[in-house]
Amino acid sequence: MMSALSLRAHIETRYPSAFATYRRRDALRILTNIPEVDALTGGVPLHALTEICGMGKTSVLVSLLARASQEHYCALVDAKDAFNPATAEAAGADLSRLLWVRCGKTKQKLRPLEQAFKVTDMLLQSSGFGLIVVDLSDIGEQIVRNVPASSWFRFSRVVENQPTALVFVAQQPHATSCAGLVLKLAAEPATFSGKLLTNFNLNAVVLRTREKKGVQSATSDFSMKAQWA
Amino acid sequence: MYACLFVPDFPVQAALLLEPRDTRELLRRSPMAVLDGPCNLPKVVGLNDAARSAGIEVGMTKLQVETCGGVLLRKRSPDHEDAAQDVLLECAGAFSPRVESTCPGTVILDLAGTEKLFGSPETTACKITVSARQIGLHLRIAVAANPDTAMYAALGFAGITIISCGDEAKILAPLHVGILPASPELLEILESWGICTFKALATLPSIALTERLGQQGLNLQKLAQGRMSRPLKPVDPLPDFIGDHEFEDPIESLELLAFDLNRVLREICDRLVSQALATNELRLTLDLEVRQIRNGKNGEQYRHNWKLPVPTQDRRMLFALLRLDLERNTFSAPIKKLTIEAVPVKPRMAQGNLFAPPSPEAEKLETTLARIRGVVGSMDADGISCVGSPLIPDAYKPGAFAVQSFSSVSDRVAQSTIVPTLALRIFRPALETSVELTGKAPHFVRLWRKHRRVLAASGPWCSSGNWWNETTAWAREEWDVALKGFEGVVYCRLYLDRIQKRWFVEGVFD
Repeated sequence: MMSALSLRAHIETRYPSAFATYRRRDALRILTNIPEVDALTGGVPLHALTEICGMGKTSVLVSLLARASQEHYCALVDAKDAFNPATAEAAGADLSRLLWVRCGKTKQKLRPLEQAFKVTDMLLQSSGFGLIVVDLSDIGEQIVRNVPASSWFRFSRVVENQPTALVFVAQQPHATSCAGLVLKLAAEPATFSGKLLTNFNLNAVVLRTREKKGVQSATSDFSMKAQWA
Repeated sequence: MYACLFVPDFPVQAALLLEPRDTRELLRRSPMAVLDGPCNLPKVVGLNDAARSAGIEVGMTKLQVETCGGVLLRKRSPDHEDAAQDVLLECAGAFSPRVESTCPGTVILDLAGTEKLFGSPETTACKITVSARQIGLHLRIAVAANPDTAMYAALGFAGITIISCGDEAKILAPLHVGILPASPELLEILESWGICTFKALATLPSIALTERLGQQGLNLQKLAQGRMSRPLKPVDPLPDFIGDHEFEDPIESLELLAFDLNRVLREICDRLVSQALATNELRLTLDLEVRQIRNGKNGEQYRHNWKLPVPTQDRRMLFALLRLDLERNTFSAPIKKLTIEAVPVKPRMAQGNLFAPPSPEAEKLETTLARIRGVVGSMDADGISCVGSPLIPDAYKPGAFAVQSFSSVSDRVAQSTIVPTLALRIFRPALETSVELTGKAPHFVRLWRKHRRVLAASGPWCSSGNWWNETTAWAREEWDVALKGFEGVVYCRLYLDRIQKRWFVEGVFD
């Protein structure tokens, strides 16, 4: 009768990775160009799914797009066609490197959320994008909550093998353990200086990260200046 | 030296080119005949060796052929024969730039100067045979010092015939005079003299022959002796890259259309490859059969152009693009003809920029974009594309934007400074709202079915434009406001349309 060790050795000769431990890649990161957020998170990881939620998410997203478009081709799947190109251009984004998919603009069989997920699947299969952002902010919470966990898991596994940062922007986090980074933002009272809305004060909390356990629940306050301020 | 490529049983081989590649060889060995003539009495105009063995002859009626049994019948199509002739010319064009389209099924090419590229005439002939077989044509090839000798040798002898200088008369000797371009009366005279072969004609005294048959007789003798020399009439070296197919019965199914679409596209791509070219623009035209003639309109067309970011020869990618577009469309009438035109350009030789970031593969990206358009649609109600790169047009109007086609091969312009900025999420179209004012400033705003108190307001910011045009003129008064709601404070941008005197919520700061 074979001992456990000899049996293991026998199996490993035929299947070398049979008992190998699965290791996640050391993720490269794309900085958001907001020093406080970058210090808190280290940037948005490639090969992982990231969720940005709460008030102020679009400002962080635009800054991330501006930075990412300097080095990568980016795609924005806009489930409710709410993206403002003028803001992105003002933030310094290279719009020629951004693929903008506007869902829900024509009469189609699929609903905007379904369209967004299907398009994301196609973009991941196509590969070559450094950053894929899926903006679900204006989709009702009830609807996004009904997305089966298997969808998030599938996205997480597909992106793991690609040098792509997959970012979901929504009102609340939904991907649970499938997300490599969950950043929740909250708005503090904005600053009105005379007749001008000048600063948008935000508070960022890292709800989940895979890299450093210590920074979980870390918070940071920062402010976003208005374009005209 | 000149090489003549002759396709025996040309109508049959032209019909076989339409068959799928895997079944073509099987059909070639089966008895097959091509019929032509009036619908009520079609007659055999072409047949293969297997059909000859089965007792079929040229001129037999369809009824007579059907009595033999097991014979495949095809209707003759001048379009298909033209297409087959084009294929033959392309095949010849790969070996020489000077090619003459002598007659259907026969081309002559000038081999002068090609020895260093392809080797001796024998080697060249072998390579041509292999190349033609890959396309689906079985050829007879003859190489001689003058075009006509090569042509008659190809007509008369199977396989490859190489005629050295001075051996023309000897090799052509056994051929029948019936293949010479003589009138029936002249052939009758020759037959009455007992002249049946080239050798018999070649050995007649020239002066006596001229006295009896004139200059025409002398020319025939020179042809039989292999001494006739004439200049080649080369065809235009660059073929067009247009393919079409007319359906016998108009079709409504995409599956049937896709079958012929793929075939036509393959022919075009083969042509492009043979000329070392690619295409960056594809034009599809579908002629629709209009059942009811209204307003004097007796035909409709569906047209679509694809402009590709990079030149390609990839048939599968082009086919996928066409198919995805057709799947999205519905046609008002059945399709009776399809035409595809490819604009030839030089292929992309190398990667554009080694220092550019990794980008989606251009060919693959086009297919992905077409698929995405299939999911989200092509254009919104305002005629703006749903898929592409955003573009800020040079227009003085708030919120103006355009969408241009996305390309992964464009060069980056200049790096701009990144400035984290407060972003505005836009409502498209803007939400109409009601606003209660205190003085000139908003005090209560109705948003998402609730009245919300204004905690702080910044404004008014007035702007206007296009005042010289009544239809496009705009004038607005903007306010950035903080609204109190149950779930916290919402910051949004309101504006008063001063022409319509109505309030709108343009977007939310987020």
